Amino acid sequence: MKYAFFPGCVLKGAAAEAYTSMFKVCEKLGIELEEIPNWTCCGASHAQGVNDLAALAVNARNISIAEHMGLPIMTVCNTCTLQLRTAKQRLDQDPKLKEKVNGILAEAGHPYKYQGTSEITHFLWILDKHPELLQGKVTKALAGVKIAGYYGCHILRPQEVMNHEDGKHPTSLERLIKRLGAESVDFAAKRKCCGFHAQLAAEHDVLTVTGEIVDSAGKSGVAALVTPCPLCQMQLDMYEPEGREAVHSHVQLPILHLQQLVGFALGMTKAEIGFDRHVSAQDKWPIG
Amino acid sequence: MDATLRIQRFVEGKSWVQEYTVAVTVGMTILEALTTIKEKQDPTLSFTCSCRSSICGACAVRVNGNAELACEILVENLLKRYDTNTLFIEPLGNFRVIRDLIVDWDPKYAKLKKIKPVLQPKAEFSAETGCKQSPEDFNKYKKYAGCILCGSCVSECNKNTLNQDDFLDPFVFVKAEKLVADSRSRSPEEHLQAVQDAGLWRCFNCQECTAKCPKGLDPAGAIEKLKEATFRMGLSQDVGGKHAKAIYDDISESGMLDESKLNIKSEGFFMAGLRLPMALRLMNTGKMNPLESHPVNPEIATIRKVVQTAEKEAK
Repeated sequence: MKYAFFPGCVLKGAAAEAYTSMFKVCEKLGIELEEIPNWTCCGASHAQGVNDLAALAVNARNISIAEHMGLPIMTVCNTCTLQLRTAKQRLDQDPKLKEKVNGILAEAGHPYKYQGTSEITHFLWILDKHPELLQGKVTKALAGVKIAGYYGCHILRPQEVMNHEDGKHPTSLERLIKRLGAESVDFAAKRKCCGFHAQLAAEHDVLTVTGEIVDSAGKSGVAALVTPCPLCQMQLDMYEPEGREAVHSHVQLPILHLQQLVGFALGMTKAEIGFDRHVSAQDKWPIG
Repeated sequence: MDATLRIQRFVEGKSWVQEYTVAVTVGMTILEALTTIKEKQDPTLSFTCSCRSSICGACAVRVNGNAELACEILVENLLKRYDTNTLFIEPLGNFRVIRDLIVDWDPKYAKLKKIKPVLQPKAEFSAETGCKQSPEDFNKYKKYAGCILCGSCVSECNKNTLNQDDFLDPFVFVKAEKLVADSRSRSPEEHLQAVQDAGLWRCFNCQECTAKCPKGLDPAGAIEKLKEATFRMGLSQDVGGKHAKAIYDDISESGMLDESKLNIKSEGFFMAGLRLPMALRLMNTGKMNPLESHPVNPEIATIRKVVQTAEKEAK
C-alpha cells in the first residue's frame, strides 16, 4: 500500500512530532509514504476567501504532482483533506473550470495538467477501511485505557465532499480506538469546532470552546483525547491553559495526534512519537 | 415498530423532557409523528408547520443534536442512522424558545436588517424599462435565492453558540451574498461593509451551516464569497481579513505558512508582542524556533506565477 503524502504546513512546523510519528507508524503498518515533492500550503481554509481561483489553481497543482507520481494522496490533516477534496470535486464536476485551471498551470510553466486520477484520503479513513493493517500488530499497551475521540469539523463536513461516513453520526474514530485495544468514551463535545481558524478573529469565543471541549472530555474520565487533525490538536494542546481559565476548569488532559495513539498501540514509546513536544499534561499520560 | 420520542418541553418558564411512544409507519416523517402525538396523545405539545413540502421552512427542529426539516426527514431513517429506538427532539439551537419546539424569529429578523437587505437598483433601471439582467448574471446569485428561512443553518453554528452579539446568522450571509452578487445593485459595497461590520471574519469555518441547510445552499461558501468580495471591492479588513491575506501571501512568498511571522502579519507587531508568553511556551517545547530560517519552495517562481495568472484570470 503506497500513498503520495501531503503533510501540510503544520506538520513541517509547530506539529513536527505529527510528521515524524506519521512516518514511523506507517512504516510499522506497512503503508509506504512518498512525500509529494514541492507541495504548497493548501490555503488553510483561508486562501479561497482572498482569491478563490488562485486557491483552486494552487491545489490543482498539488494534486497534479501526485497524479504524475501515479499515486493516491493521503493526508493527516482535516483541513488539508477538505481543501484538496473540494478542489478535486469542483474540477472533476466542471470541465470548463478544469480547462481554465489547466490553462493557468500551463501558462505558469507547471509541467503537469490536473487530470483527476488521484483519490484523496485521510489516514483515519484508510485505517477504518483496512483493519487488516493493524492485524497482529496491536499490543496490549492501551488495554483498559479510556480515550475520548474528537473528530473536529473538516473531516465530517460538508457531507458531499467528506463522504467517508455520516457526518451527523460518525463512528470511525470510536471504532479505531477500540481496534487499538483502548476503551472509547463518548463525550458531549466530540463534534464541536475547536475554533482554530478563528483564533485571532474571535479569540475569547475560541478559548471558551477550547476549554469546553477539554473540560467535557476530561470529565468523562479519559486518560487522553485523540484527534485526526493536527490543527485541532494544536488548538486544544497549546491553548489548554487559557481554555481552562476561560471556563474555570481544572482539567489537564493530554491531546494526542491520531498517529501517536496508533503508535502507542503498536508498542512505541513517548520518545519515538515525539510526546515531549506537547505543551499540556505530559505527565498525565500513563503509557510508553 | 414503536419509537420513543423524548421531546424537550418548555411552557411558561418550566422545562422538562417528556416521552411519547409512536407506532412508526413506512414513510412517516418527524412532523407526522409530532402531529400524531398532538392529535392522539397530548394536545398541549406545540410546534410550527405549514406546507409539509420542504418549502415554507416552518417546521425545522433538532433531532439528536442535528437540525432537520421535520416534514422532510423520515423517522425510520433517523432510527437507522442512530441505531436506536429513541430520538431526542428539541427546538432549534441558537434561538430563543417561545414554547416547546416553537422559536422566536424576531431577534433574527432584527439581525437580518443589519445588512440593509433591500436591493437598490442602478440608476439606469426604471419602472418603465425594468431591471433586466443576463442569465449569466442571474446565475451568479440564483442559488442563494432558494433560502426558505427555516433556521437549520443557525442551530449548530459554533460561533453563534458562543456569542451571537458580534456575528450574524448563516442565512443572513446567504442573503447578503445574494445582494452583493446581484449585477442590478447600485451599491453592493454598502451591504458588504455592513456584513463585515457585523462579524464576517469571525466565522469559525466549521461548515455546520452547510451541513444542515436542507436546500444545499452552502452558507459557509457564501461567507467565503463575501470575504473574497471585500478584497475585490477594496474594503479594508480587520484582523481576520489580514490573517487570511497573510496566509494567502505566504503561498506566493515561500509556498508554505511561516508560522513565526503569521501573528505579526495578522495583528501587527505590538499586538503580536503581547503573545510573548505563548511564544515562550512554544519555544520551550521546540514547537517554535525563531532562529530557524523559513524554507522556500524550490519551485516558488512557478507557484508565484500560478497565483498571479489566476488573479489575472479572475478579474
